[in-house]
Amino acid sequence: MSNIRPTVFVVDDDPAVLKGLSRLLRSAGLTTETFPSSQDFLNHYLPNTPGCLVLDVAMPGLNGLELQKALGAKGSAVPIIFLTGHGDIPMSVQAMKRGAADFLTKPVNDNELLNAIRTAIEKDRVARHARTEVAEIQQRLATLTPREHEVLEHVISGQLNKQVAADLGIVEKTIKVHRARVMEKMQAQSLVDLVRLAEKAGVGKM
Amino acid sequence: MNWVTIVWSMTASACLTLALMHGFIWFRQREAWASLLFALVAVATAAIAGFELAMMRAATPASFGSILKWMHVPAWVVVVALVGFVRLYLRAGRPWLAWTICGVRTLSLLLDFLFAPNLNYREITGLRHIHFLGESVAVAEGVSNHWMLVGQASFLLLLIFVADAMVTVWRRGDRRRALVVGGSVVFFVTVATGEATLVLWEVVRWPVIGSLPFLGIVAAMVYELSRDALRATQLARELQASEARMSLAANASGLRLWEWDIIRDELWATDRTRTHSGPAQFERRGFNQFLQSLHPDDREPISHALAKSMNGDGEFEGEYRLRLPNGAVRWMVSRGRAEFNGDGKPVRIRGVSLDITGRREAEVALRESEARFRTMADTAPVLIWMAGTDKLCTFFNKTWLDFTGRSLEQELGNGWAEGVCRKDFDPCLETYTSAFDARRRFTMEYRLLRHDGEYRWILDTGVPRFATDGTFLGYIGSCVDISDRKQSELEIAQQRNELAHLSRVTMLGELSGSLAHELNQPLTAILSNAQAAQRFLAHDDADLNEVREILKDIVAEDKRGGEIIRRLRLLLKKGEAQQQPLDVNEIVQEVLKLVRSDLVNHGVATQVELAPGLPAVSADRVQVQQVLLNLVMNACDAMSGSPATDHILIVRSRADNGGDVHISIADHGTGIAPDNLEKVFEPFFTTKAQGMGLGLSVCRTIITAHGGKLWATNNPDRGATFHVTLPIATETHS
Repeated sequence: MSNIRPTVFVVDDDPAVLKGLSRLLRSAGLTTETFPSSQDFLNHYLPNTPGCLVLDVAMPGLNGLELQKALGAKGSAVPIIFLTGHGDIPMSVQAMKRGAADFLTKPVNDNELLNAIRTAIEKDRVARHARTEVAEIQQRLATLTPREHEVLEHVISGQLNKQVAADLGIVEKTIKVHRARVMEKMQAQSLVDLVRLAEKAGVGKM
Repeated sequence: MNWVTIVWSMTASACLTLALMHGFIWFRQREAWASLLFALVAVATAAIAGFELAMMRAATPASFGSILKWMHVPAWVVVVALVGFVRLYLRAGRPWLAWTICGVRTLSLLLDFLFAPNLNYREITGLRHIHFLGESVAVAEGVSNHWMLVGQASFLLLLIFVADAMVTVWRRGDRRRALVVGGSVVFFVTVATGEATLVLWEVVRWPVIGSLPFLGIVAAMVYELSRDALRATQLARELQASEARMSLAANASGLRLWEWDIIRDELWATDRTRTHSGPAQFERRGFNQFLQSLHPDDREPISHALAKSMNGDGEFEGEYRLRLPNGAVRWMVSRGRAEFNGDGKPVRIRGVSLDITGRREAEVALRESEARFRTMADTAPVLIWMAGTDKLCTFFNKTWLDFTGRSLEQELGNGWAEGVCRKDFDPCLETYTSAFDARRRFTMEYRLLRHDGEYRWILDTGVPRFATDGTFLGYIGSCVDISDRKQSELEIAQQRNELAHLSRVTMLGELSGSLAHELNQPLTAILSNAQAAQRFLAHDDADLNEVREILKDIVAEDKRGGEIIRRLRLLLKKGEAQQQPLDVNEIVQEVLKLVRSDLVNHGVATQVELAPGLPAVSADRVQVQQVLLNLVMNACDAMSGSPATDHILIVRSRADNGGDVHISIADHGTGIAPDNLEKVFEPFFTTKAQGMGLGLSVCRTIITAHGGKLWATNNPDRGATFHVTLPIATETHS
């Protein structure tokens, strides 16, 4: 899964700009895919493809910001690098708030753009990786019984077995058995390891 | 009674009757000298017949001789009268011969009374009675007088004289008259003289019967005179007819015939009122009476003219006003000629007069109208000129001459053109000539040199003139000094251009973001391409074909950027408006290119419906672009409040049947309140938070200055439409 080469998607209504950008990216050894409009992109984009999106803000039909919104609604987390003709501050703030990877002004310098793309690809890769790990931990969490889940929550909050037994109203010995079962099911080597896993899966956060 | 008595009495009475008739004719017509001479010949012949009869009845030789003596008196009368008749009537015969005959005959008459008993006899010894025509008549016996030859010589000379006259008349061509008068005189004189000679020399015993041959002469003479009388009657009739014809002609042409008998002071004139038909009727007046009927001012000149003609060459001519009894006044023109008698004294003046009242009135009316025109022309505040059919100027009013400070003589013909500014001359001449040849109305503007040396702008309008029958008469034109107007027009145009420019700059300022973006597109493409190429070339296995493609695209993009800058520069330029034929569709496309980014930013979709093959309009490219740009931007602004899915701009163009090109720009915005449809074009009217409210008012000023119209309507569904019309360019429009 992580072996798939990342792709840079470029969306711009100006065919000359589209052609120039795709050449530049190819010259840097990147795989690119170009779309003349937002709608085109939406129709062809597969969220599983790793990479990033280079997006022109001002376009007829669905503009850059609207496309970002649409992608967000679909749950896509592809990093977006916006290109704009003029640095409109309110627009860039809005874009960044929605999680834009970068906001660059045209004409854009090659290194600036390539750096931004590389950063975005890296971020995507990391994000994708993180998303995979959490899913695994959650699978393990799912195997716990409700009593084991309760024990886990108390343990990671730093309570001793005696305190947990008192809180739950059961004997300390039974707690020890549950704790061992949790450690086994969660494949934790140590208490520290267990806490890290639980944290990643978002357990114990109120 | 017997034959002798009968024949001689009849001869005498016939002669006397004829003599009486012609004597009467002469008495009534003193110029008829021929009639008087004839009467004398006839009376003398009658007397001779009487004497001959008495001689034939003479009782004694003494009475015979006495009768014969007295018979020489009528014989003298016959000879002298005949000579006079030939001279007067035939207008022939040698005068010296005539005088000689008269002299010789008078001599013989004197001798007749010197000798006793008479010229013929020295002595009459006795009377012998012989039978003659069945009667016993007395003839003389005695000694002949040789002096009798003098009398006979006179008859011989008479024969020669008459024969000579006869030849003259014959040669003159009047052969009949030569034969009748000359021939009979020669014949009968020969007979009479011969018989008398034979009797008096007592060669034959026979009475003297000279009256009979003389009767022949009288008959010949009366025959001729009667013919003349007949001819005179004929002539009189012809004259009457000719006069009737003449008076008819005179009447038809309005002529009056008149004649002034100066000696009797009688003025005869055909009365026009009574000569409408039939021969001329004359009315008679005295000269003073006539003079009184003239206008007082004309009496003196007419009298003077008449006096001059009577004392000079006889020709008379004059114009005068005649006062008719009914009080009307007629203008007359008279021409005549005076006739003089032998002493060179004027006898009468004959002439014709013509009523020229109509002509005079027309002349006066014409002169008045001319004077009125001149007064009007000279007092008019405009410069007026007139030209004949040959394009040369024939008139300039005082205002013109005062303006140029030149004389009419200097300006006439083509002289006025000297004052026209060199630069304007050729186009002016072209306009003038072509309009003139086509007989079209024309207007032209040119600079004309004023008297103070300053060139002033003149608006000249010329119209062709035609007579009532459609004949081309030339041109009349008027000019106004429009320098001040021209100056203020120029200033207004300058202000308008400046305002338009200001408005354009403001508008482009608003557009600057979009325009920068528009310029950024090619720049972005160029930079990306160029850096891509650099990277490709850094590789060892650089694909040169790829690099070539890249360079091609760079060039194209650079051009695209340059084009945008060019358009911008054009719009930002501050220059004089220049009218030229433009393709409206092309301008619409250019404007849409400029504003593309703005439309995209506003999320506006453009729908363009341009009619193909539109005629060119005459307009300033930049200003029309400005108007369309303004309207498109307004449309975008109008839609910014409505839902994004409804941002549609529709630009249409079409040809109007009124000779205009119509451009409409429709939006789907909020529309315009009905009260504001017209107000939006007022200066400082605005519904926007920012903006001065000058855009549309400037737009309207621009379009109006182009001769077009700009107005707004609300769409039936939603939004508003702005309409622009521009007049189609015509070839002659400058």
